[in-house]
Amino acid sequence: MVARLEITLKSDLFDAEGEAIRRKARDYFNIQLDEVRTIHVLTIDAQLSQEQLESARRQIFTNPVSQISSFKPLAPSFDWAIWVGFRPGVRDNPGSTAVEAMEDLFKIRFQPEEAVYTSRLYLLQGKRLGRDKRGYRLVERIAKELLANDLIQQWRIYSTEEWNPQEGIGIIVPKVRLAHEPTVATLPISSDEELQALSQKRNLALHPNDVPVIRSYFLRPEVRTARSEVGLSDPTDVELEYISQARSDHCNHNTFQGKFYYRDLGTGETQVVDNIFKTCIQAPTLELKQRKGWVVSVLWDNAGVASFDQDTYYVITGETHNSPSNMEAYGGALTGIVGVYRDPMGTGKGSRLIAGTYGYCVGYRDYRGPLKPHLHPRRLLDGVIEGVRDGGNKSGIPTPYGQVFFDHGYMGKCLVFVTALGMMPATVSGTPSEQKTTTAGDLIIMCGGRVGKDGIHGVTASSEIYSEDTPAGHVQIGDPYTQKKMHDFLLEARDRGLIAFITDNGGGGLSSSIGESARFSQGALVELDKVPLKYEGLDLWEIWVSESQERMTVAIKPEDLKRFMQLSEKHEVESTVIGQYTDSGRLQITYHGKTCAYVDLALLESGFPQWEFEAEWVEPEYRGLKEPVLGPPEGHRRILLTMLSRPNIASKEWVVRQYDHEVQGTSAVKHLVGAERDVPNDGVVLRPRLDSLRGLAMAQALNPTYSRIDAYHMTACTIDETVRRLLAVGGSLGHLGGVDNFCWPNIQYDPESNPDGKLKAAQLVRANWALRDYCLGFGIPLLSGKDSMYVDGNLEGDFGERHKVSGLETLQFTGTSVIEDVQRCLTMEPKVPGDFLYVLGVTRNELAGSEYYDLYGYTGLNVPQVKLKEVLPLYQALEQSTRGEILASVHGIYRGGLGVHLALMAMAGGLGLEVELTKVPAEGVKRDDVLLYSESAGRFIVTVAPGDRAEFEERFKGLPWGCVGRVTEKQKLAVRGLGGNVLFRVGLQQLKSAWKKPFGKL
Amino acid sequence: MQKNNDNSSSSFGTRSAPKALVLTGFGLNCDWETTYALELAGAEAHRVHINQLVMGEEIGEIARLEDYQIFAFIGGFSWGDDHGAGVIFATKLLYNIGEDILRFIEEGNLVIGICNGYQAMVNVGLLPGFDGDYRSRTVALIGNDCGNFRDQWVHLEVEKASPCVFTRGLEHLELPVRHGEGKFYAEESVIKDLEEKNQVVVRYADSEGNSANGSYPDNPNGSMNDIAGICDSTGRVFGLMPHPEAYSHWTNHPNWTGLKERYRRGGEPYPQEGYGIQIFRNAVEYFRQ
Repeated sequence: MVARLEITLKSDLFDAEGEAIRRKARDYFNIQLDEVRTIHVLTIDAQLSQEQLESARRQIFTNPVSQISSFKPLAPSFDWAIWVGFRPGVRDNPGSTAVEAMEDLFKIRFQPEEAVYTSRLYLLQGKRLGRDKRGYRLVERIAKELLANDLIQQWRIYSTEEWNPQEGIGIIVPKVRLAHEPTVATLPISSDEELQALSQKRNLALHPNDVPVIRSYFLRPEVRTARSEVGLSDPTDVELEYISQARSDHCNHNTFQGKFYYRDLGTGETQVVDNIFKTCIQAPTLELKQRKGWVVSVLWDNAGVASFDQDTYYVITGETHNSPSNMEAYGGALTGIVGVYRDPMGTGKGSRLIAGTYGYCVGYRDYRGPLKPHLHPRRLLDGVIEGVRDGGNKSGIPTPYGQVFFDHGYMGKCLVFVTALGMMPATVSGTPSEQKTTTAGDLIIMCGGRVGKDGIHGVTASSEIYSEDTPAGHVQIGDPYTQKKMHDFLLEARDRGLIAFITDNGGGGLSSSIGESARFSQGALVELDKVPLKYEGLDLWEIWVSESQERMTVAIKPEDLKRFMQLSEKHEVESTVIGQYTDSGRLQITYHGKTCAYVDLALLESGFPQWEFEAEWVEPEYRGLKEPVLGPPEGHRRILLTMLSRPNIASKEWVVRQYDHEVQGTSAVKHLVGAERDVPNDGVVLRPRLDSLRGLAMAQALNPTYSRIDAYHMTACTIDETVRRLLAVGGSLGHLGGVDNFCWPNIQYDPESNPDGKLKAAQLVRANWALRDYCLGFGIPLLSGKDSMYVDGNLEGDFGERHKVSGLETLQFTGTSVIEDVQRCLTMEPKVPGDFLYVLGVTRNELAGSEYYDLYGYTGLNVPQVKLKEVLPLYQALEQSTRGEILASVHGIYRGGLGVHLALMAMAGGLGLEVELTKVPAEGVKRDDVLLYSESAGRFIVTVAPGDRAEFEERFKGLPWGCVGRVTEKQKLAVRGLGGNVLFRVGLQQLKSAWKKPFGKL
Repeated sequence: MQKNNDNSSSSFGTRSAPKALVLTGFGLNCDWETTYALELAGAEAHRVHINQLVMGEEIGEIARLEDYQIFAFIGGFSWGDDHGAGVIFATKLLYNIGEDILRFIEEGNLVIGICNGYQAMVNVGLLPGFDGDYRSRTVALIGNDCGNFRDQWVHLEVEKASPCVFTRGLEHLELPVRHGEGKFYAEESVIKDLEEKNQVVVRYADSEGNSANGSYPDNPNGSMNDIAGICDSTGRVFGLMPHPEAYSHWTNHPNWTGLKERYRRGGEPYPQEGYGIQIFRNAVEYFRQ
């Protein structure tokens, strides 16, 4: 039987969840509601007695102090009601834990077809809502644009008239019913055209150049003979799906390994740039690895490994989850963060997660234009924030750092960067922890969640541009609870020496994880019928490529099986032996003993042609970029306040505070610092070993607007900013680890659909040249990195027409540094009145792509450039001063320039600053606004105690610095201009209210 | 820190060190730092998975509550907090090892619940534990008024009249809160009882030590009467929303760099230990008396 349990807060209790919806309906849609109350619904589809149901109601699901509940409808009077529940097959985490709780209480097992489904009923009261058609439309808007996403959820709207108080919402059971016999299809490949058509039809996303290679493999006589011995002829769908996954740009990085015909249209020179991954990422990193003993393992595993101290390593990687988040923000971002957490878990023999970070690039929150993205940027941002929040917080992993950036270009596709850090002991059971391998005879074990239709073709979808036909099946909801149990379990298994090899099931599912791990032993035999499923009826290829989350693939020795399974039982994690590694040279997949795939592993390692791109570079001045003709402004005070209120500068405390950034007890420098703990610091520092004073500093940067001029300088500035952020908290130049995450619009030229593809390709090449130049220059090995290449969308406009919207060429750069003693770390707020204020580094007229030019709608031409020879000695002096503890505070000058960053420091310290612009080291700057808002790289602001002044100035002898003023007790930022006049004097409270105006109430 | 064995014991435990059980598993997550804080305070702390208490024999790893003197219910998201924070955690405890826990308390031992652990204790009825009744559910921790999960440091004033063992000698504390469901709620009569019996242990305050009076964000969740933590009638069972284990080192504090600048200029030594450790040290001291 099916029972429906409704639970709600007692009527006199404040319903915070309902109130948040009321507020959003008002703020987002101007819909006035008087009250919203929520009812939680559990639909229990299981053979339970009345007594058991009643016992579950009382003993588990109802808090007698705060809630009431009933198996009958609870809804009292309302004006409108909205019910929202999942669509069949969507991951329902509370539904699963409800089953777990009842199984434990009654000591029973639910049958495979039994389940609990959770949903919500929202009761809306609103006198001004109206009960007519207009009222319905408003309510529908709330349902559609606030409460439910039709990709994963269904909803129903009830008016008071329609509502049946006895039946309520009735019984809705979103059970997956697949009346389908699992099959294997053999696919004909009589011509390239046929295979290409098949690729389109089945959404395989095969590159046209790959098609002949795949065909010729299956036509080879020796291949056909071998295949006939196992009962196969033409390729099966399992095989083609496997090849497609492995060859996708997402897994194989065909773009970065491609061949670029790069032509500079200004000089007419042409050069062939062969494989930017090899030349700009791999080669510099290997060269640096030689010199830097702390680099342990890079460029091959799920994440990079570096030394933290003598017997501990840290592990880091970064990912993006753009396409799924663009369609289902919460689920996409949640899946993204828990997904990237599996990378360190699957690095070496496995590491323990110690931190995660976020980066969101979205359209403007207050967008009111005609374009119709699937999710409005405001809703999208709310969703991704919450997704990463639940993913991080529920995993018990601190989220100490992150960034949010707004630009119209991200309306086409948003960017969701997620980064994960882990720790592992240098040795595990006496063997190096970073090493792992599979050996013939090892068992293949799948741990964690079960397999359903979720996420099928996620990898290939992220290798395509977003359009309305993108299959929605790849949108999923992550399950941090299951993953946390698995994390704890696998670490215990690791420490007992049971793990020979471990990797995660992310993009491509088993197809990727087994496909890749089998390359070590040179073969695998997989029994697909052993794979535990969420529900019956999946085709074999679907089991093989499904991206159902929270799964790891582990290799263990047969003799360790019992111990491994016992630990698995202890942690209540499902683990299943699904095959064995072999040395046959082949991947063989069977289903109930019958072979359905038989592919030479060597196929994927050779013979595929490189992707090719035409790249054409046009210097910015020849693209029509120029410096604006802009007379000097007068209202300096208003400019500063306006700058502080701009979305890319304004306070984002509302995001930071939703993340648990202190779990594990390791927080040493937090993201929000200062007297009122509300101003973002340059970077953060963790003390990941509680018994040690050693720290791990972490910071990230992105500067996509500079790409409007030249992605080379965008990249240089982003790396420089990351380095400065690390130095500001106390990091050292001797240990700088990097992670590059590229997000680029499509670079494949097409005269109609991508007319500027060649320029975007040239930008990618240039960005990688800068990556190479500055990583070598600063000495940053790239511990890890990823690319996501199709940041474009085709959005519908007012008249049904479609506009292609491309994201800015974006690099998120992550940096790490190890600090010997966290007690030497610094934060950015001035600390003591009377201290001297210095600016280090040269300010030039470099406003192109800046926040200041953007205020007026200009792009400009003079993009900030990083002069390595000039900045390196300055950075060395700064590092020595930090080490010598002669600085009271350090802060880098980033987006918004000197003016904005002086204001941030004053606000943070709760102390005044008196500044004279004439003392700021500058070159070719004659105007106050240029000096205040130029975004030249390589600069810092520091404060120094009077007693340390002489030593400080001695250390910086011969370097560009200026003592620009003092820290004061007055609650004012006072700036004198180049003419010696007072430019402005602004109270700290006023600065802060301007800075908190846009998002302060969220 | 990366121990090779869950049950490895303290390196600085002494013969007189009380043994502390730190409960882990099913999404609980403050196990390492709580273990560390207890050890720093002088206890011999062990991480123990719930199933070692529930089905130790089947999994070949048995743990017994009677071997311990301090029982720590730690923070985390047990069972994802899907049906209310600490709800399934409480059911799991009550219907599997409920009797053992009652015996543990009756035998004069100490219990501390932090955040998710506190929520579970309240749901089991271990708190408020009026006059030895550890089965009645009379208070609740419900969704924050702000509608969101929130991480911030709070000021706490310790009620001097409280019998709580863990807060002896403490007056003022700063600790982080990190929760979405921390609003203390009970009927007026229950609150009255709690206050009259001095079972309110810590309250949210402002930076001057004045009562927060419900004002956000000093009172971060809308808790009635600013209540941040309560104990039972004996003072041996204590639960609170803020995280003392997250303040084990002085650099955990959000303004430590400012403090350091003052120490440095004054030529004073740095304090090293975080103030949160006092709570655990009081527990250890209790057994040394």
